[in-house]
Amino acid sequence: MHGNYTRRDLLRAASAGALLAGARLGRAAAPAGTVAIAKCKTYDPAELMPAMARMFDQIGGLGRIVKGKTVAVKINLTGAYTYRLGYAPLGDSHYTHPAVIAAAVSLMGKAGARRIRILESPWATTDPLPEYLLLAGMEPRDIERAAPNVEFENTNYLGKAKKYSRLMVPTGGYIYPGFDLNHSYEECDVFVSLSKMKEHATAGFTGTLKNCFGIAPVTIYGGNAGVDEPALQPGGGRDTFHSGNRQPSKSAPQERDFKGPKQDGYRVPRIVTDLVSARPIHLAINDGIRTMTGGEGPWIREADKIVNPGVIVAGTNPVNTDAASMAAMGFDPMADRGTPPFETCDSTLRLAEEVGIGARDLKRIEVAGWKSGDVTVDFAALRKERRARGQAGRRG
Amino acid sequence: MTSGLTPFRWPASWKDGSALAALDGTPFDCLVCEKGEAPDGVLAQARQKGMAIADPASPPSGAAITEGVWPGVQLARGQAAASSGPTGNPWVDSNGWKIRLESALHPGARVWVDAKPADGRVLAASYPRAIADCAAYGGRWIVTLDEGLAGGMAQGNADALAAWKRIAGAARFFKDHDAWSGYAPVAVLGIVSDFSGDNEFMGQELLNLVARTNQQFGIILKDKASASSFAGLRAVVYADGKPPAPSVRNQIMAFVQSGGTLITGPNWGPAPGTPSNGPDQPGYVWRAAGKGRVAFAQEEFSDPYALANEAVVMVSHRYDSVRFWNAGSAGFSYTAAPDGKRALVQMLFYTDRGVTSVSARVAGRYRTGKLWTLDGTDARPIELDLQKDAVELHLPTVSQYAAAELEA
Repeated sequence: MHGNYTRRDLLRAASAGALLAGARLGRAAAPAGTVAIAKCKTYDPAELMPAMARMFDQIGGLGRIVKGKTVAVKINLTGAYTYRLGYAPLGDSHYTHPAVIAAAVSLMGKAGARRIRILESPWATTDPLPEYLLLAGMEPRDIERAAPNVEFENTNYLGKAKKYSRLMVPTGGYIYPGFDLNHSYEECDVFVSLSKMKEHATAGFTGTLKNCFGIAPVTIYGGNAGVDEPALQPGGGRDTFHSGNRQPSKSAPQERDFKGPKQDGYRVPRIVTDLVSARPIHLAINDGIRTMTGGEGPWIREADKIVNPGVIVAGTNPVNTDAASMAAMGFDPMADRGTPPFETCDSTLRLAEEVGIGARDLKRIEVAGWKSGDVTVDFAALRKERRARGQAGRRG
Repeated sequence: MTSGLTPFRWPASWKDGSALAALDGTPFDCLVCEKGEAPDGVLAQARQKGMAIADPASPPSGAAITEGVWPGVQLARGQAAASSGPTGNPWVDSNGWKIRLESALHPGARVWVDAKPADGRVLAASYPRAIADCAAYGGRWIVTLDEGLAGGMAQGNADALAAWKRIAGAARFFKDHDAWSGYAPVAVLGIVSDFSGDNEFMGQELLNLVARTNQQFGIILKDKASASSFAGLRAVVYADGKPPAPSVRNQIMAFVQSGGTLITGPNWGPAPGTPSNGPDQPGYVWRAAGKGRVAFAQEEFSDPYALANEAVVMVSHRYDSVRFWNAGSAGFSYTAAPDGKRALVQMLFYTDRGVTSVSARVAGRYRTGKLWTLDGTDARPIELDLQKDAVELHLPTVSQYAAAELEA
C-alpha cells in the first residue's frame, strides 16, 4: 500500500515516526466525544439557524466554549475566487457558504463571544478579507452584522501585526516542529475550523483538519516565499508544503528532515496534522449542505458536480467531527492509504489520531442526529462510478 | 466628424492589383499604406473601387492613429508559459486603455490602432480578437495580415481564405454595430491627469493597470475638467507629480465635498480636509471634507501597480463594474446608452481556445438581455440571474468575444 514510496523513503519515514513515538497517545487514548449532524437542506436562515442551534446544543452548548472569549474562525475559501463549478456560486461548491458563516457568528454572538475574528488566507493577495469575499460574490456585511465585534483578517501574510506568531508542535511534529503564523491564530482564546465537506485530490478528504492547511502564510510557505525572511506579498499556493522542494523562509522553523519523502500524499496529511497540533481546534464545523464531488475545487480534473447532502456536522474534536463527516459521505473513517478516499495518500485522521488529537473510530464517538448508514449523498459510490468512467486524475 | 472607414493595411507581399478582389464584399473601405508601399496601379484601382487611401503619417479626417500592441496573453520570449504579474495572473496585452485615452485627447476622432501581428505570424483565430480588442473600446484595428496569411490568400489557400472570411466577418460585425460607439463608458473611479510629460508614465500606467482589475476607469483631462467629468464617479485619483492648478483643485474638492473620495498624496500639496477614520489601508491616512473623504498617501507615489490596486480596494470591490468567473484572462468594456436604460458589456477572452461556463456579474439593475458573438449574425437569449444591484450573466461557450446588450 505504499507503492509511491521508495524503500529509502520508508526507512526515513519510520525513523521520523520513531521520534514521535514517545509523544503518541495511541488510538485507544485519543479523545472521543460527541459529534452532532444536523439535517438542513437549504441555506435559508429560517432553516439553517435552528438546525445549527440544535446541533450546538447537542454538543454541549456554545456558551461553554465561547462566552467571554475571543473566537477565531478559520473559514474555507480555497483557491482563486475566479473558479466556479459551472455557474454555481462558490458557496454551493467549495467555499464555506456565507450563510453558514453568518449563522455560526450569530449563534456565537448570542452565546456571549466577546469578539469574533473571521480568518482566511485568500489566494495571492493582501487585500482585506471582506474585499476578497466581495470578489467571491459573498456579502461580508451579512457576517459582520451577525454579531457584535466581528472582525476579519487576511492571514496569508503578516497582516496587522508587527511580527509573525510562532506556534510549536507539542509532539515534535511529523514534518515541521513548529510554524510561523499570522498573529490572529495565537491571539485568540478559542479556535474554530469552519470547513466545507468535500473530497480532496491530494489528501482524499477535506474537513475541519484539512481546512487548517490554509492557516500557513504563503509569504513563508509558498513557492515565492522569501529565502531568509518572509515575502511581503503572498503569491500562488503552498508549494513548499506540497512538494518539499525547498524549506520555508529561514526565519521560520525548518523541516525536521529535508530529505524525507517528497510525495504530496505523504507530506500534506502530516503537515495538516502538525498544523492542527500547533494550533488546536476547539470547535469543528463542516458545511455539507451543498458541496461538490470529485475534489476540493473546480480546477481539479476529477471535479464533477454539485450535490446536496443537506447536512452540517459539528463537534469539539476535529478528528471525531471529520470521522463522522466521512461516514456521512459514505466513506469509512478507518480507511487508510490504498482505500477510498485515500487511494494515494495517508489518512490525516489516522495521523492525527496517532498523535492524540482525537479518535476516528465511530464506535468510540457518539454521533447525535445520525445513525449508521444514514448517507444522503454517497460520495464513495459516486467516486467509484466516476473512476470507472475514467474521470480520475489529480490536480487539474 | 468621426471616421466611419474600416481600415486595411495593404500587405507588402501583394504586388498585383488583382488582389484587391479579396476586399470585394467586405467592410474594408480604406487602404492603409505608407508612401511607396503599394504600387501606384494598385492605388489607382482601389480609388476606382471607391476606397479611401490613407498614409499612417497623415490619417484621414475623423481618425487618429496610435501605435498599439498585438492583444493577447503575453508569453515570455522562448517560453511556453505565460508571463505573470506580481499576483501570478497572466499578463494580458490590450489596446483598450490607450484607445480610451486617445479618444479623450482627440474628441470626435475614431482611434485607429496600428499593431502588427506578434512575431510576424499568429494563429488565424486570433485576428478576430485583435479586431474586437479595439472595436470594443470604440477604436478600429488597422487590419494587418501576417506574411503567411497574406501569401496564402494570394495563392488561394483554402485555410487562408477561411481565416480571411472570419476576419472580414468580425470587421463587418463592428461596422454593423457602429451605433454602440455612441455609448459612454460606465465608471466609478476617475483618473485625473494630463497624461503627458512628467506625468505620462504614472498616468498612463494607472489606466493600463486599473483596466486589469474588475473596475473601469473614467479619464479626466486636467485642462478639460468640468463638473460633468465627475458624474457617476465614487472616487478619483490624483497622482500627477505637481499640485493641481487652483481650478482643477476646486473642481476635485467640490466633488469630494459632495460625497466623493479623493485618493492622492504629498504631490497634492498640503493634505486637504481634517483627520478622520476610514478602512484600514496601509500607507494612507483618511481625512474628511464635507460629505466626502480623502485617502492621503504618506509617501510619494512611485508604483502605479500598487496605486491602481490600492485605489480599487479603497473604492471597494462592492462597486466593481464587471466581475468574471471561469473567464481565464479576460477584459471588458462596459458602456451605457445616453438614455441610461440600455447598456452594453463587451467581453474579451484572450485564450485561443474560447471559454465555457463563464459567469459575468454586471453592476446595475437590468431585467432583460441578449447576447451577440462573432460566430452568428443574430443575437441570442442570455441567461440572467437578477440580483439586488447587479445582474449575473451565464454565458454559453463562446470564443474570443461576446457582447451582452442589457435593458433596465
